[in-house]
Amino acid sequence: MPFLAADPVAHGVPTIDEAVLWAILAVPFAAWLAIVVYVRKLPQAAGWLSAAAIGVAMVLSYVTLFNVIDADGGVAIHTHEWFRTGLGEGPEDLVVNIGLRIDGLSAVMLVVVTTVSFLVQVYSTGYMSGDHGYGRYFAHMCLFTTSMLGLVLADNLFMMFMFWELVGLSSYLLIGFWFHKPSAAAAAKKAFIVTRIGDLGLLAAMLLIWSRTGELGVAEIQEIAIAGTVPQWVITWFALGIFAGAAGKSAQFPLHTWLPDAMEGPTPVSALIHAATMVAAGVYLVARFFPVFEHTEDASTVVAYIGGLTALMAASIALVQTDFKRVLAYSTVSQLGYMIMALGLGGYVAAIFHLFTHAFFKALLFLGSGSVNHSTNTFDMRLMGGLRKYMPITYFTFLIGSLSLAGVPPFAGFFSKDEILLDAWRENRGLWVIGVAVAFMTAFYMFRAIFLTFHGQYKGGQPVDHHDEDSHFHGDPAHPHESPWVMTAPLIVLAVPAVAAGWFAWDHMFADFINGALPEVHAHGSTFEWGIAISSTAVALAGIFSAWAIYERKWVTSASIRDGFAPLAFLFERKYFLDELYEGLIVKTIMQRGWNRLLELNDKYIVDGVVNGSGQVVRWGSGRLRTIQTGQVQSYGLGLLAGVIVIVVAVYSANPL
Amino acid sequence: MELTILLLIPTVAAVVAGLLPQRREQDAKWVALLASVAALALSIWLFLDFETGKEGYQFVQREDWVDIGAFNLQYAVGVDGISMPLVVLTTALTVAAVLVSFSVTMRPRLYYAMLMLLSVSVLGVFIALDFMLFFLFWELELFPMFLLIAIWGSGRREYSATKFVLYTIAGSAFMLVGILVLAFSANTFDIEQLGQAEFRDTVIPLGWVFFLLFVGFAVKLPIVPVHTWLPDAHGDAPTAVSVMLAGVLLKMGGYGLIRMCVTMLPEQADDYSVWMVAIGAGSVLYGAFVTLRQTDLKRLIAYSSVSHMGLVLLGIGAMGKTALMGATYQMLAHGVITGLLFVCVGLMYERTHTRDIARLGGLARQMPIIATGLVFAGFGSLGLPALAGFVAEITVFLGAFQRYEWAVLMAIWGAVLSAGYILWTMQRVVFGPVRHEWDGLSDQKHWWEHTVVAGLVAAVILLGVYPALMMDYIGPALDPIIERVES
Repeated sequence: MPFLAADPVAHGVPTIDEAVLWAILAVPFAAWLAIVVYVRKLPQAAGWLSAAAIGVAMVLSYVTLFNVIDADGGVAIHTHEWFRTGLGEGPEDLVVNIGLRIDGLSAVMLVVVTTVSFLVQVYSTGYMSGDHGYGRYFAHMCLFTTSMLGLVLADNLFMMFMFWELVGLSSYLLIGFWFHKPSAAAAAKKAFIVTRIGDLGLLAAMLLIWSRTGELGVAEIQEIAIAGTVPQWVITWFALGIFAGAAGKSAQFPLHTWLPDAMEGPTPVSALIHAATMVAAGVYLVARFFPVFEHTEDASTVVAYIGGLTALMAASIALVQTDFKRVLAYSTVSQLGYMIMALGLGGYVAAIFHLFTHAFFKALLFLGSGSVNHSTNTFDMRLMGGLRKYMPITYFTFLIGSLSLAGVPPFAGFFSKDEILLDAWRENRGLWVIGVAVAFMTAFYMFRAIFLTFHGQYKGGQPVDHHDEDSHFHGDPAHPHESPWVMTAPLIVLAVPAVAAGWFAWDHMFADFINGALPEVHAHGSTFEWGIAISSTAVALAGIFSAWAIYERKWVTSASIRDGFAPLAFLFERKYFLDELYEGLIVKTIMQRGWNRLLELNDKYIVDGVVNGSGQVVRWGSGRLRTIQTGQVQSYGLGLLAGVIVIVVAVYSANPL
Repeated sequence: MELTILLLIPTVAAVVAGLLPQRREQDAKWVALLASVAALALSIWLFLDFETGKEGYQFVQREDWVDIGAFNLQYAVGVDGISMPLVVLTTALTVAAVLVSFSVTMRPRLYYAMLMLLSVSVLGVFIALDFMLFFLFWELELFPMFLLIAIWGSGRREYSATKFVLYTIAGSAFMLVGILVLAFSANTFDIEQLGQAEFRDTVIPLGWVFFLLFVGFAVKLPIVPVHTWLPDAHGDAPTAVSVMLAGVLLKMGGYGLIRMCVTMLPEQADDYSVWMVAIGAGSVLYGAFVTLRQTDLKRLIAYSSVSHMGLVLLGIGAMGKTALMGATYQMLAHGVITGLLFVCVGLMYERTHTRDIARLGGLARQMPIIATGLVFAGFGSLGLPALAGFVAEITVFLGAFQRYEWAVLMAIWGAVLSAGYILWTMQRVVFGPVRHEWDGLSDQKHWWEHTVVAGLVAAVILLGVYPALMMDYIGPALDPIIERVES
């Protein structure tokens, strides 16, 4: 079996010019600047400018990738000082660098981000045409791409944190893109705040490691973890802090609640940011510090169980969604849970490989859902059906994406999911059972969505509200049609990696490449086993068959199943009541009506009570002394001053020095 | 000599503006603008001429003033790496304050005279090298502030103006005692000498002296629980005064803490370090919690200032090099960010005549430029990277964490809370459905409005991406303080 070959590979140093790496960041940034400055004058140019800029960044990323392949995924770091608070002699002084790091891991991420981003920009020129904020949309997209690339290329934790937050900003701006919709404004706010809670962990991790070691560089921190020069608890808490940040961005329990709401943004945004790239940033971050996690059993265990729990929880919610996009959103949360679980189980390669394949097929699925929306003016699957007749390209590409996600060989998702399940089988049988259950649910809910949307009879879509000036819907939902070529072409292009990206597992190609980013590699054995492969394929096919039986052949009605599991279905439909817990109980009741109100009243009655009370005393006193005082504030001040001077001079003359 | 000219420019402008004939009274704004731009140009020239990396004060000028026995007062001015950036901040925000006042037509002569006088007094506080001169400038600032709020303010303006003055005077009464005790003990009022002196045989214990000075500065900063004057003053002050108040007046407190409390009494500061840090972190959270309850846009920003100035105290209390750097940088960052916030809110208020958040909404459609400015400033305020506040906050956190992990782990929650109140405010004020009540209101359109917003936006970005610009000044000035603290 070629999968089983596992000779250690010597890694070289990538020779790619530093200027090329900076250019990858600078070109989308320049496009952002150009659109911001000229957006009002040339809105239509914004789309093509943005696509062209990201296209250039994509070409440069591929150049970089091939250069790194020549070096077998080895590491090159280019770093420069940004600012310092002192001369850098003692641990007291903070020296902050800004630098780029390229290796197998970042090269893969570069290619994923720029490829998906480029295709999404092209798609968006069609999807967003006619929108009031057309120029603004592309400006935000360029800002996002720049920030994401900065995060991927950063060589130190400080810079990572900066771009991490900027990615959060662009996510906020794009979720709230249609800001006149209250639901969009609320979802944007929720996304930023919830992820920021996780970011505190990342911040605390940075504070901890810097105060203990004086280092912020990724390579230095990895070395410290390996050498064990700091106490174990520092490593453990550092890892947990990093993971908290990852849990926020990658929507892991208990911070996952923002991602489904983030679907308020335009669909290409969901495809790029909330499926393929930004939400994978947490996985990337944990992978970046993978040597640290390898050296702390406790933190890794937490990571693995949180990942497994998230995968299961989100998949169960996805079973009952009626909104096409929300199915995909919960599916994303669930798949991210898979990746996180793999990282916790030591499956660095499996996690990144799944990130890699998932980026393509999930972006494809989201863009497909956007194409459907473009034709039906809705995401409600109850208003769709039968669309495969009207939208064959969308249907077939969506089918490919779904087969890939469901894990059917030889599609991409099969290979990466299989590696995760294999790692789980070896490390933790309990999590393997969860993983298999999630695989079944994934196949089931995806094909449920396909049968509801593309099969059966068309139910008419959502009629266009012609009074809504913000709606830019052109077509007639009653007569659905295939989308224009700028939208179908990216679907077709993305369908290729959705099928074939998994084949890079051949001969350990992918594993050897991204292992180059690690200072030390522990062999995890082969990446393929017939038993696991056959069982997971069988589970996926069973899921598809169940969906077919219920939603296509209707041997059993879905309503009767729902009634059979009513309490459970209710729990899934209400998303485990977490929104009620967070917003209703904690934020609105405990904080706003309780604690915050208490402090406000303290200011109003206690603190100001003392102040106004002393004012009353002064007023009363001044009433007594009206004959000698004017009653003006300035006079009180002068009196006070004079009195103090008299006292001090008296004390001084009584106690001559 | 240069610094004296810097003081004289707005002083002369105040006199000229005040003495303009009645029929030319609307020209007062041009006098103020000319003077403030000249002062800004001079301060930038001084900034560039300043030799970084050199310890001690530069552009020093000393003249004998009063010399009666122990009372040996000087007119002494000079700047070091801490005060130099604050001087530039002051002159820059003065220009901003003048520009946002261009729509003021009521009694312009007195208004601009007072605004100039305010600028003089704040500049004086930052450059004075004599403790009594410092105190005089400190007190001088009350006079224009009182009139500006009481005459051109809104709401309960007289109550707020009086409260502001009483609070500050109460604080400065404490401070004056502390000043006199130290000065008589060391037999000098010279700030430079006091900063190197060993105090012996003081009439009251040095711990008390520290406390007296601390209270004076803490009221100004302000910290919880002596902060309630700030929301009232901000709420009722005209826009320009809010800009000056948040932008530079609060920094007088932080400056005093570093220059006097920490430098002159390092041992006592070290003893009280844990208290300062606790109060600082407490202010961060307290301010943020109460901000979440505010319904008035200006009071909301005022309470957020309480939270952000808590970070200054946190950094000062931790007393390390990085922590003090962060505290100083936070003063600059908060100055430009909150200045911009108040400018944008002021522009909205000028058009809608309400600061009630519940009545606002959807303004991103009617006033896209002002709304963009407000969102930008909001992100600055919540510490977005590449903007000024981020560098400051994270430097404070990194510096303070070395000594007080628990306090920093508390204070970082301020980052979530600030995201909460800023984004919630944005959601309610600029986003959401359009309110037809505000149809037809103009967006930002006058050249002075564009200038002030663009200038502050540029400053927020500059401080965010090029921290070395200021840190190369501040760092060397902190070295002697740290040496003194450590010895």
